[in-house]
Amino acid sequence: MTQHEIYDSAPGEGDVGEHSVSDDVRTYLIGLGLAAVLTVASFWVASGTRLIYSPGVPMALAALAVAQMGVHLAFFLHITTGPDNTNNVLALAFGALIVGIVITGSLWIMYHLNVNMMVPGGDMMGTGMGMGGG
Amino acid sequence: MLGRLSWDAIPLGQPIPLITSLVVIAVILAALLWLTISGYWPYLFREWITSVDHKRIGVMYCILALVMLIRGFADAIMMRSQQAVALDSGGYLPPEHFNQIFSAHGTIMIFFVAMPFVIGLMNFVVPLQLGVRDVAFPTLNSVSLWLTATGVLLVNMSLFIGEFSQAGWLAYPPLSELKFSPGVGVDYYLWALQISGIGTLLTGVNFVTTILKIRAPGMALMRMPIFCWTALASNLLIVAAFPILTATFAMLLLDRYLGFHFFTTDRGGNPMMYVNLIWAWGHPEVYILILPIFGVFSEVISTFSGKPLFGYRSMVLATMAICILSFMVWLHHFFTMGAGADINGFFGIMSMIIAVPTGVKLFNWLFTMWGGRVRFEAPMMWAIAFLITFVIGGMTGVLLAVPPADFVLHNSLFLVAHFHNVVIGGVLFGAFAGYNYWFPKAFGFKLEQRFGTAAFWFWVVGFYVAFMPLYVLGLEGMTRRMQHYDVAAWRPWLIVAAGGAALVLCGIACQVVQLAVSVRDRVALRDRTGDPWDGRTLEWMTASPPPHFNFAAMPDVTGEEAYWGIKQRAIARARLSPLPIYKAIEMPRNSLTGFVTAFFAVVTGFALIWHIWWMAAVGFAGAFATFVVFAWRDKAEYELPADELALVDARRREAREDLVAGREPGIHPVRVEEKEDPIRLGLRDPSAGHAGPASKRIITGFGFWVFLLSDFIMFSGFYAAYAVLSHETAGGPTPDQLFNLHIVAVETAFLLLSSFACGMATIASRVRNMLWTQVSYLVTGLLGLGFLALEVNEFAKMLAVGAGPDRSAFLSAFFTLVGCHGLHVTVGLLWLGTMMAQFFTKGFRPSIMRRGLCFGLFWHALDIIWVGIFTNVYLLGTSP
Repeated sequence: MTQHEIYDSAPGEGDVGEHSVSDDVRTYLIGLGLAAVLTVASFWVASGTRLIYSPGVPMALAALAVAQMGVHLAFFLHITTGPDNTNNVLALAFGALIVGIVITGSLWIMYHLNVNMMVPGGDMMGTGMGMGGG
Repeated sequence: MLGRLSWDAIPLGQPIPLITSLVVIAVILAALLWLTISGYWPYLFREWITSVDHKRIGVMYCILALVMLIRGFADAIMMRSQQAVALDSGGYLPPEHFNQIFSAHGTIMIFFVAMPFVIGLMNFVVPLQLGVRDVAFPTLNSVSLWLTATGVLLVNMSLFIGEFSQAGWLAYPPLSELKFSPGVGVDYYLWALQISGIGTLLTGVNFVTTILKIRAPGMALMRMPIFCWTALASNLLIVAAFPILTATFAMLLLDRYLGFHFFTTDRGGNPMMYVNLIWAWGHPEVYILILPIFGVFSEVISTFSGKPLFGYRSMVLATMAICILSFMVWLHHFFTMGAGADINGFFGIMSMIIAVPTGVKLFNWLFTMWGGRVRFEAPMMWAIAFLITFVIGGMTGVLLAVPPADFVLHNSLFLVAHFHNVVIGGVLFGAFAGYNYWFPKAFGFKLEQRFGTAAFWFWVVGFYVAFMPLYVLGLEGMTRRMQHYDVAAWRPWLIVAAGGAALVLCGIACQVVQLAVSVRDRVALRDRTGDPWDGRTLEWMTASPPPHFNFAAMPDVTGEEAYWGIKQRAIARARLSPLPIYKAIEMPRNSLTGFVTAFFAVVTGFALIWHIWWMAAVGFAGAFATFVVFAWRDKAEYELPADELALVDARRREAREDLVAGREPGIHPVRVEEKEDPIRLGLRDPSAGHAGPASKRIITGFGFWVFLLSDFIMFSGFYAAYAVLSHETAGGPTPDQLFNLHIVAVETAFLLLSSFACGMATIASRVRNMLWTQVSYLVTGLLGLGFLALEVNEFAKMLAVGAGPDRSAFLSAFFTLVGCHGLHVTVGLLWLGTMMAQFFTKGFRPSIMRRGLCFGLFWHALDIIWVGIFTNVYLLGTSP
């Protein structure tokens, strides 16, 4: 092992060092279990449970989705916070930032555009510029 | 049989394109004939077409850019002359031709001049400056080059076969939709840019990986030359921005080819979404071009002032700040679209903020020159012209960033003057500075100075004469892209501007002559030592031109300005550094993959433009076959023995003797501070050390990781479109009427279990258990296939009840987002099939194991995207 590999690892490999097969299988099993639980929770929330205040459903779904993405990253893609993973995490953070900017920025801009450009009497959310249905 | 293609596509009735095409075809045929007669084909094939050497690829990019500069300039001079004569008359260019010219001019100048020039310089310089032998993925680099060339070829084909887009360089809908642009022009535009865009994206992935993972020993990040930093920022932006362009163009293509409703004016489509997304790419694109150019100027100004760059750290910081901020200003390109005061205010302020780091850079350059021994060689003259010109362009830019001012100046010639002011005065001047600066390194002789100076003055004066009148015209109310006009007061300014274009033409002519004269006098202009400018960075340490392996022994970097330190120590001791121990090295083999891929890309692109479906299928199958053949290669590298390296290096060291002994003119040793600086004297600070290039597994894995992130960003484009358009059902079915959560739950289960099986395969391959590897991969594939079958079934059911993607914008966005994920699963299955066969036939070789690593990343990443889809599309769409 060269000196470089001590502080650097490929994404998907987790911590550099020896693992036993059973350790590795356990990691994937935990990941699968958590992902399954979170997925079931998401479907349950969406099925119209009374337990959650209904305007809060989108927020609950978003939280569950983000949590599940984190589970996948940690247990399947083996992205860790270790020092050997700095580059991988930074690249991911940059990507996530851009994804966030593109989606929220577009929504923010387009929402204001739709409000400002609304045809009087038209339904902003329903038929766009009042020409729908054709 | 031939789709829309017929003899009508040849512009027999239009003399200008017809004659131009015939001349171009004649020139190409003559060149091919000359190559054949002189017997240059084997050389060309061996040394250039199949080359994966980053230096050769860089040179080819620059040649491509220079040739296309002439094409783009021909368009420019036609526009200027048309506007000089078109007062109250039609001029000599009919409107539909004039529209094609301005569209082609912008498209070519940005995508096929500025981009290849900048990418060419990065290709040539970055590995040399990092002290390494090649980029991370040399064959991929060749693929990038040839895909860019494919785009160039398609755009130029449109001159002779069919027509080009008339919708401007960004093809805004609704004009670019099928309803208003029924011809092939927009299709040429879209496919040319889609194909070359893939090439650019791969370049970005390649260079981010190279810079972060492959550097000489001791080259810690904060010791990298500033050009490498700017190249890193630029390539990060490529990776982040180009996927948005791909997604946006894909949506427009779906509108045009399959009747989707993303950007149409009916059934809920929203043309403004296109404008929003295209500028989310478009503004970072500006910085993709200018950041490396800032790097060029930093190197040039530091070298020709004989001083280290002032404020290196602030320069790095400013560069990386721009890298992030450039993603937060895009709305200033459409202030007038109607987003309102809040949004305009935010983006106006962000646009002013981004001028701050640029200002920091300007002061750094000025302070670098201050107190230095400035030498007015050609690169430095371009740099000084840039400093002055770019400030003017930057100031008019800040002016346009004020929303109320923009409402007055939007779409006027003031805007045209502004962006030419920064693109010519910034990007192009910088490209020319880099061209003059690194030419001796590439070819072993300097460019001739007299014609170089003449070209400089013609260009600079020509630029001011051509574009300052445009500012005036803009303030007088003249809008851009006018084929004719009826305001007599504008005409004198337009005639002056045409005169400026003529001066620029003289400048280009001088550059052509300069090149010819330089080649003629190459013996007298020879760069013997490899360090013609008294350079400071590692590229000047090797010979000019460098051997294909760049460095016989990898340099050991002990501080900033690596080469300057080595040189000064050698001069101080009056002898060369001790002879290194040469070790055999592995170099990548030449490959025809890039060229063949590009061939099939041309076939596919052309077929799609003309709706020749069978030919598109053939081209696509060919491209896939090429990929498989490449993936199956056995030996990617060959070994260079140590004694051969020693032999080549001995010649370089011999040429260096004079330099070290102080007998070489133009080298100014500055020794005083060197003696006092322990780090520069070679006492390396181990904490700032860097161990050198990473292992192949890390390089491959990281490169693929970066590519995956770009894939996420492409999805975010589709995602944004879905989020914006999901309520636009146009009276058609709504999400809760269409989606069946039971099926989605089964799909999700399949995908999760498939991901788990893939993880088991990874573990099995690590312990070299073939049976379990194959079984696990088989399960992975079968579950993936099950997912796909359910999805196809779901789509088929929706189509059967008339809820196809052409029904409403909501359904267009749904089919595209979910379908794109499905397409990824399909690609993954094809990949899995070839990889299983490779594991079977080749066993657990490192190269196959690396592929397994990448496949695992890909397959698990598809889960993450699916989580986003089932939450936002299905659950949110159906939740009460």
